[in-house]
Amino acid sequence: MKRSVQILLSSLCLVSASAGAFDLGELKSKADAAKAKIDATKASIPPVNPKLAEAVKEIKGPSESEEIAIGRQIAGNLLGAAPLVKDDKLQKYVNRIGRWVATQSERPDLPWHFGVIQSEDMNAFAAPGGYIFITLGLYRTFQSEADLAGVLGHEVGHVIRQHHLKILQQSKLVDAGSKALSKSVGGNDKVQQLIGSGAEIVARGLDKDAEFEADRIGVVLATRAGYDAYGLPSVLQQIGHASKDDNRAALLFKTHPLPEDRLNKLDGAMGDRFDRVKGLTLEKRLVKLKK
Amino acid sequence: MSKHNGWLMALMVCVAMHSGIAIAGESGTMSKADDMKVEPFRDAKSVKALAVGEKLDILSKQGGWFKVKAGKATGWVHMLSVRKGDAKKGADNASGLLALSSGRAGTGKVVATTGVRGLNEEELKAATFNEAELKRAEANASSKADSAAFAKQGKLVARSFDYLPAK
Repeated sequence: MKRSVQILLSSLCLVSASAGAFDLGELKSKADAAKAKIDATKASIPPVNPKLAEAVKEIKGPSESEEIAIGRQIAGNLLGAAPLVKDDKLQKYVNRIGRWVATQSERPDLPWHFGVIQSEDMNAFAAPGGYIFITLGLYRTFQSEADLAGVLGHEVGHVIRQHHLKILQQSKLVDAGSKALSKSVGGNDKVQQLIGSGAEIVARGLDKDAEFEADRIGVVLATRAGYDAYGLPSVLQQIGHASKDDNRAALLFKTHPLPEDRLNKLDGAMGDRFDRVKGLTLEKRLVKLKK
Repeated sequence: MSKHNGWLMALMVCVAMHSGIAIAGESGTMSKADDMKVEPFRDAKSVKALAVGEKLDILSKQGGWFKVKAGKATGWVHMLSVRKGDAKKGADNASGLLALSSGRAGTGKVVATTGVRGLNEEELKAATFNEAELKRAEANASSKADSAAFAKQGKLVARSFDYLPAK
């Protein structure tokens, strides 16, 4: 029953796609290709009252294919600011771990993508639809695969709870973007209009509670994936420690609660729940960075 | 190598394996009162009580536990009762960081932020779409089957575990 309601809702959303705030009716991006077939099937459902459809869409937000298109545009822009580290072994490895962690979530079939980007800053970024990037500077703090898994789990948490998508819906970025956009910017112009300038969206802070929620999801997804639960807390310990003598974490601290606060919250939320749960850390399998 | 040295080495390897990830010369501070334990388990025997602000040397890490030295005592303390570095609980040491984040509004607000260096807001705002890099990123994708096979290689086993309630 619940499922059929969900299917009905999503088909209503698709029908209303051209009327809603996220106007991506003509969208034909690569990320969409796989979804197009499904969309075509759903579009054959008889039309519904457009007013109702719009109301439903407002509650539910953009469709999954729109979400992916938005994320793809943000990811392309982020890579414009900081390209991938030229190390295929590292990139492949991070994708394998990320996908395994994401598979433990309620959205295992998103087209998940992970990457390490060329920046000595310590930070990680999630864009809608499953595009996740961590900086080289953050990767350097990892001591085990469990650390990596915990961080990726946190970012997967942002994606599955649609934290950035909600920001796009709340904020005025959409308006600002359409005013600022006078020429083609590469990628999909229509989607770019929705997300403001460049990859601005990832430089904006989320609500603190969204970060704490992503932390709680991160430790759980890592645990579900068979890892030791304390990877993410370990990284937070490292970042909190390192921050005293360098400012590679400047943007991270502006956009996230302080590590100290995040550790306090995790302590409260985790309590003794993980005491009997053993997991692997796999420090030997963590791919070493090229010199 | 003498017989004695060989035995000693075997013992050292054993100790190293038991104590998880070795940490070289890091200090820590108790962020809340907690007991030092004989072993890395909450129901293990207590060595002594540690007070908030007490300084520690962190020797190694195993799961959620740090092996620490506090004064003359050595034992295990839960990781989340410790903060790395010499910081005391409370934020007086972090005034610089607090100043940085003072632009942050309370819960429920969307706040624009400005980075000062590194991958900062200006750079991100000015960034232009890089199709070639994005395609490279997409080419690295791992399928569910591929990632599961890699997990299996590492002896990782998926299991169920409930999401944590906010507290």
